Amino acid sequence: MSNLLNIRNLRVHFDTLDGPVEALHSVSLSVKEGEIMGVVGESGCGKSVTSLVTIGLASCDVDEGSITFEGKELIHEVPDVTSKTLSAVRAFTSIAGVCLIISMLLLFNNPDLGESAIVTSLLVLTVCMFFIFIFDTPTRHHEQFLRSVRGNKISMIFQEPMTALNPLYTVEKQISEVLKQHGKLDAAESSLGLRIGKALASPAILLVNFIRRDLKGGAQLLGVFLFILLVQQSGNSDAFLDLLSYPVALLADVVVLLLDVLDRLPDELGLGKNMSAVVSLVELTIAGLIYLYIRALFHVPDMLSQTVNHVISRTPQILVWYVVIFILLWIPFGVLMTIIGTVVILAIPPIQVSGYLSLDPAHTRQVVKILEDVRIPNPEAVVKMYPHELSGGMRQRVMIAMMMACEPKLLIADEPTTALDVTIQAQILGLMKDLRDREGTAIMMITHDLGVIAETCDAVSVMYAGSVVETGSLEQVLGSPRMPYTIGLLHSIPRIKEEGEVRTDLPIIPGQVPDPNTVFDGCRFHPRCPFADDLCRSTPPPMEEVSEGHFASCHHTELTVDLEAAQLAFSAKQFLQSEVSVQ
Amino acid sequence: MTIQSPEPNDSRAASGDEPLITISNARKWFPIKTGMFSPVEAHVRAVDGVDMKIHRGETVGIVGESGCGKTTLGRLVMGLIPMTEGTIAFEGEDIRDINQKELRRRLQIVFQDPGGSMNPRMSVRSIIGEPLIINGLADGAKLTKKVAELLSVVGLKPNHMNRFPHEFSGGQKQRIALARALSLDPDFILLDEPTSALDVSVQAQVLNLLDSIQKERGLTFIFITHSLNVVNHISDRVGVMYLGKIVEISETDELFANPAHPYTHALLSAIPQPSVDAEKTERIVLSGDVPSPANPPNGCSFHTRCPIAVKGKCDVDEPELQSVNGGHKVACHFPVEAGGSLPIHTE
Repeated sequence: MSNLLNIRNLRVHFDTLDGPVEALHSVSLSVKEGEIMGVVGESGCGKSVTSLVTIGLASCDVDEGSITFEGKELIHEVPDVTSKTLSAVRAFTSIAGVCLIISMLLLFNNPDLGESAIVTSLLVLTVCMFFIFIFDTPTRHHEQFLRSVRGNKISMIFQEPMTALNPLYTVEKQISEVLKQHGKLDAAESSLGLRIGKALASPAILLVNFIRRDLKGGAQLLGVFLFILLVQQSGNSDAFLDLLSYPVALLADVVVLLLDVLDRLPDELGLGKNMSAVVSLVELTIAGLIYLYIRALFHVPDMLSQTVNHVISRTPQILVWYVVIFILLWIPFGVLMTIIGTVVILAIPPIQVSGYLSLDPAHTRQVVKILEDVRIPNPEAVVKMYPHELSGGMRQRVMIAMMMACEPKLLIADEPTTALDVTIQAQILGLMKDLRDREGTAIMMITHDLGVIAETCDAVSVMYAGSVVETGSLEQVLGSPRMPYTIGLLHSIPRIKEEGEVRTDLPIIPGQVPDPNTVFDGCRFHPRCPFADDLCRSTPPPMEEVSEGHFASCHHTELTVDLEAAQLAFSAKQFLQSEVSVQ
Repeated sequence: MTIQSPEPNDSRAASGDEPLITISNARKWFPIKTGMFSPVEAHVRAVDGVDMKIHRGETVGIVGESGCGKTTLGRLVMGLIPMTEGTIAFEGEDIRDINQKELRRRLQIVFQDPGGSMNPRMSVRSIIGEPLIINGLADGAKLTKKVAELLSVVGLKPNHMNRFPHEFSGGQKQRIALARALSLDPDFILLDEPTSALDVSVQAQVLNLLDSIQKERGLTFIFITHSLNVVNHISDRVGVMYLGKIVEISETDELFANPAHPYTHALLSAIPQPSVDAEKTERIVLSGDVPSPANPPNGCSFHTRCPIAVKGKCDVDEPELQSVNGGHKVACHFPVEAGGSLPIHTE
């Protein structure tokens, strides 16, 4: 089997306010075709960063190293000169921008000078932008290449499915969106005209469905429409819009509530649902009549509207506009909200229609088929559900289905079962193994649970403090670990006792994972290692091949041949005492 | 270092040793409402009839999947939320009748997320010292001395006293939380998933610390967790919870050697073990999820996922918690016999 993914000597850092933090020091690992590769380590060891750098989603800078996928390089290295020039030009661009604003202000004072200043700074800006465009082209092309890889060839399952799924869309929509993005969507069955017709008719269908489900509510809705129609027909619509109509409408509501007593009548008389709809129609008609009666009796709304009209006619319109513009311009937040509000209101109908447009029976069938592949029971019902309606295990299955939809070559699973219960975890792990057997997808399984690794993986890489310290097949790493960290980690997991076995202290690795900023001359594990000596403190250990395909990064692999002796060394008294223990 | 294996429960009961905490028929039903003034539509039966005795000096582990009511039971024991039904007695006295200050002094809790249970603006000295000040036990220089003492008990250094929580790692924060719980010298500590947020190597350190503190001070622990490996290591007795009920409770060794409830069987077979040479036993994969506690199934609450459920019996009658072997109690109509196994269930 050839290597599908090859990571060599990856070193990355994050730029933070406290200076750069080196997250990965030297990571080398490879995933073969159709293999499940486990990456294990404690939190803060750089497991997730490795995977994010691989698919180009990390917000860190790669200092050195290479990642090849199917022989193609995934890391785009910008030459030092180019990046320096680019940042200089970018700084120059911002200065030119500031100059532009200043010259605009200058325009008020000295129009001639202002004009030439504006022209000059605009010219400089354009040149700078053109320069950036030219020099940035390779990066842009690489980003396009990464987009073609991401999802198509490499996809990723995240730890918490609820945050990775969009809570506003149904499962069907989200999965078909992935398919659409990657051009894997089946051809639509029905013609475009039919779908547009359906989309336009959908509000009416919704209304009809609502009325059929809740007859009484439907009748009330119909009553309200009728009521508005009546008021308009009687020529009182201006009064209807008056402020005073609200309290009156409220009063009418109270009357409706009182009349709600009538609701019980049909039940008692045994007349059923249809009758109650008639009753609510009657109620609303009565309420409407009362309203009209009150209005006619007191003439109150008319008086009010006359006053308002009077005031408005006396105010010069230009003043009103002035105030409006003043408010809009001087309260930027208000402007923003107005714009956003308008855009949202304008955008809702097209979005709604496009949502109905994309849904085709053929697409639904395709999504159902994908959900069946991940063994979701009752997929026809699940496609219509929103993520919050699903349980944790089901959400993770939907996530896996989504990621498998494009049949990628490599699936990166970042702690896929950490948030799940053991019984559900067993289901998900079984499913992932099954997928590998069926489709031949290679999986990079990132986890901190060595049990999960033992259960699913073919090969294991152990990470510690930003570098891979041991790698090999499952039997080699878990059966005969050679790096002291792996030995300690495996040994410190509480295991199920035999019956009658007395409880002893758990073996521990003293101390904790070092801060990523700590500078080590030698091995990063030496403060916690029982075998550490001067060599370990001064020289970083190379990756040594201890047996075929089994590499360990340790100076003293000869000391760890005997596993039990090595385990004993961890619990040796003088080691635990000499060590700084907890801090 | 070995620990004396605890005497079996029955002999304790026979010798008239009064249990420290007695939970009888504890129920906590959370009402579901759709609006402020709307009537209660249904109840989430978070804890639905739990009987348990906790003896002095023992560690009782409670395991179960998420949403089965472990934490709610813990909160009921601590008196943090009112009970719907039943009683919980501490040394024979109902916890509702005990003075709250007194109760808090004798019952302490360590929460799951150590960072979330500490005020980030308080120094370690005031975090650990606050209970002492409230109870008027120490002040000034005496408080500093006492806090230093507590810090060294949990394996931290006295000069950590003036730091703030964010300066510590997860394991160290959990040690501080433990020091706070120990500050009033309580009789009982509820440990609510104290190691789930920690890494394996740090988890081992914290578990060892808990063990040694219990030995030194004769504390009683309830250890709530979802990790069976941990509960096997730390507990003397284990209760398995499912949908708000205890379905099986027994001595740790007995439960892990001869599980009687099918759910316990499934749980045990679902733990991935980190070893390559152990023969891979065919695991029992339960189909589906835990049913909603707002609408639990009729009869045995596990029958919807149970591989050996019998129609007409399991979905009608609710099984009682009954003894199968001394202190080993199980709530199942057809308990698996010692050494028996379950048929592998396929979806």
